[in-house]
Amino acid sequence: MPLENVVEAYDLTKTFGNIKAVDGVSFRVRRGEIYGLLGPNGAGKTTTIRMIIGIITPDKGEAYIMGYNVHKEPVKARSFIGVVPEISNPYVDLTVWENLMLIGGIYCVPKEVRVRRAEKLLKMLGMYEDRNRKVKALSKGMRRRLLLAMALISDPDILFLDEPTSGLDVISARIIRSLLLKLKKRGKTIILTTHNIDEAGMLCDRVAVMNRGRIIAMGTPEELKIKFGKYTRILLCFNKEVDVELVKKHFDSYETIIQGRRLIIICKLRDIEEVLDQILRIVRTCNLNIEELQASGLNFEDVFIRLIRGDRDEI
Amino acid sequence: MRSKGIRQYLRKIWVLCLKDMKLYYFKGPTVVMGILMPLFIWFAFVVGKGFSFTESLPMLIALASFFTSSSITPIVMPWEARQKTLEMLLSRPVTINIILFGTALASSLFGIFISSILVIIGLILNVISHNLISLALGIMISSSCYSFMGLLFSAVPSDVPADAVMLSSVVKLPLIFISGIFIPISELPDYIRPLAFISPLTYFSDLVNYSYGCNPLLNPLTDIVILFFLTIIFMVLALVINKRTLMRRL
Repeated sequence: MPLENVVEAYDLTKTFGNIKAVDGVSFRVRRGEIYGLLGPNGAGKTTTIRMIIGIITPDKGEAYIMGYNVHKEPVKARSFIGVVPEISNPYVDLTVWENLMLIGGIYCVPKEVRVRRAEKLLKMLGMYEDRNRKVKALSKGMRRRLLLAMALISDPDILFLDEPTSGLDVISARIIRSLLLKLKKRGKTIILTTHNIDEAGMLCDRVAVMNRGRIIAMGTPEELKIKFGKYTRILLCFNKEVDVELVKKHFDSYETIIQGRRLIIICKLRDIEEVLDQILRIVRTCNLNIEELQASGLNFEDVFIRLIRGDRDEI
Repeated sequence: MRSKGIRQYLRKIWVLCLKDMKLYYFKGPTVVMGILMPLFIWFAFVVGKGFSFTESLPMLIALASFFTSSSITPIVMPWEARQKTLEMLLSRPVTINIILFGTALASSLFGIFISSILVIIGLILNVISHNLISLALGIMISSSCYSFMGLLFSAVPSDVPADAVMLSSVVKLPLIFISGIFIPISELPDYIRPLAFISPLTYFSDLVNYSYGCNPLLNPLTDIVILFFLTIIFMVLALVINKRTLMRRL
């Protein structure tokens, strides 16, 4: 019977000097799901992934891949995974093809299978024509796509992606996202870290939100949105730009975002009357016209921000 | 099952060795420290002392094996750390030992290749070893020994290859003067002579001298056995120390 949880992390803890980078992180990833580790820079996502794949040894805790303890049987555990680490490069003095053959060789993939897979992957990622180019001649986006092809050359069961689309152009990011969804359909398990909330909401079945080395929330993006269902997001569009000072004065106890003529207010449901009252006051005082008004639940980005802030301010 | 595991282990070493051959044989530090340096040292000595090629071939073979075999190993780890390819490799099903063995193999083969070219040039010019077997064995063992010695220098937790090259030069250059290459060990001052016997170059130089009919200091078998044990010692030290400093590199 196949394992249900293909990746397991128990109480992972890592300290660098005086800084606790990861503090007791535990989670399980089910077979065939896309699991996202979300968090701002420095939240501990990359360190967590590096501990799970056995690059660094945790001070405390254990990680398992397909039931193998990563730190006791690293080679066996890593034979099931493909990794696109954030802090890594292909060999710039080798060609695209040579890089793929090298990694295929490390996984002991037979040559004819390696060649077939490399051709297929390069075509899928739009790089087949560049296969004989040295990596140093490639753009950042193409290098990232090559790293993804290198991670897939062994046809792994599990794929780890650390910030897969960070800093990429729209086309490269879209190619990668679409490939990830195809891989999920083929039953692959994908674990990705990202600070791109839209991407996480779009791709992930479940997410764990990390801040300051700890997991502060876990669940599906929808579950997390429901958790913050008591909040409402009011979007207003006026006929002219909004006076920042005026908004601060009237809505100082609410979260506000001002984008030119647009004003976004996030408030609790019970405060909505008071907020609407204040809006009407501003409209009258400044002689503004409301061109658009929307009230909705929080989107995933709002949820994420509140989670991070809540952790910090203990709201 | 176990034999499959061993086969895969060796295959991974070979794959990484091929990668190092492609990447590092023509890198600046390898060419300078591995080919030009021994050639210039030999040339300066031969011109200065007025030796012929025939007389000085054993010296050139010893220098070539020593410098070429230890030229790649110090730079690979810092270079890979700097290029951010080390973490990419370590996230695959390999251990640091596999990576280090691959590098040591590439380096040893480089040393064997360059030394063999010199032996062949000697054959063409009628400078023939009277014991090709001991010479071949010596070249193989010494190349491994020096490549693991070079690997020790790569344990410096730096991502600047020049740091490792500098450290290896500081150790390697004095060794060539106390290992019986330029000055016979019997002519060394009494207080330096004991140092000659801790130099791994002494035994290979002695073995090459024996192979070309010059006066050896030790029995060739003794040279081979000592070189073998030094190889084991350098290998163990290189693997242990590199493993310890690995975390500070990533």
